[in-house]
Amino acid sequence: MSNKKEVKFFNIMQYEKEAAYLRNMHKSGWKFVRMTGLGMYHFESCEPEDVIYQLDYNQEGLKNKEEYVQMFADCGWEYLQDAFGYSYFRKPASQTVGEESIFCDEASRMEMMNRVFKGRLIPLIVIYCCCLLPQLLNATFIYDSPVIASLLGGLVGLYTVIFGVFAYQYYQFMKDKKR
Amino acid sequence: MDAHIRKVYVPMTETGFYILLCLQEPNHGYGIVQRVEELTGGEIRLTPGTMYGSLSKMEKDGLIHFVRAEEKRKLYCITDLGKEVLGLELKRIQRLYQTAMEVSGREQ
Repeated sequence: MSNKKEVKFFNIMQYEKEAAYLRNMHKSGWKFVRMTGLGMYHFESCEPEDVIYQLDYNQEGLKNKEEYVQMFADCGWEYLQDAFGYSYFRKPASQTVGEESIFCDEASRMEMMNRVFKGRLIPLIVIYCCCLLPQLLNATFIYDSPVIASLLGGLVGLYTVIFGVFAYQYYQFMKDKKR
Repeated sequence: MDAHIRKVYVPMTETGFYILLCLQEPNHGYGIVQRVEELTGGEIRLTPGTMYGSLSKMEKDGLIHFVRAEEKRKLYCITDLGKEVLGLELKRIQRLYQTAMEVSGREQ
């Protein structure tokens, strides 16, 4: 049996893409073992099989993990691991009826996205508004320190790009859901 | 019942409706999944992500309450508020149905 590792980055909005990536790997004979660090995916070779992977984001579930994992297990979903608040599950397509997902209606799919937003994006926005921006203004106008100002300016720029990307993805996501 | 609960739960999702309907007797998440499959002849299959999210939300909103744990499964039961919400939703569905029958009756 051989193993391999792949480095892949998915941002917080791309959980469906990440699940599709793991499914494709399994289909081509690489079974997901675990994810470590920021995006190191470990696989082991296996018989190619169509296995559906799903990510859930539920902090309530992580707090009551035994019960949470049990409900998924009862419904045939194997629990794999947690990473950054996400829980990973899989189920062979042969055991599902049609194209099964861990969500069966749009309302709960949207609720999961809202939990991701609350858990992941809002902390970023708070750091941005309460720490980075005021510090940048201080450094620029009060302390008159060009080094710190340019450093902070870089961070502010980076955050702005991140928010821009999220806003775009959110827009795309909503457009997809409406279709 | 406050306006917020009414706004969120009336009308409610099919999942929400079946959860409240089944929780007139104590049951756990997977028990509800099985019961609904039985009641609808396999037409409606509730899934764990949706089920877990709905149960925690309904418990927080006071529509259902925790009864006891059986092994690793939590059993819930409907509360008075939950019954009130279910009643409102039933009335709404009944009105929909009646209106639809009247309209199609007139057209024939």
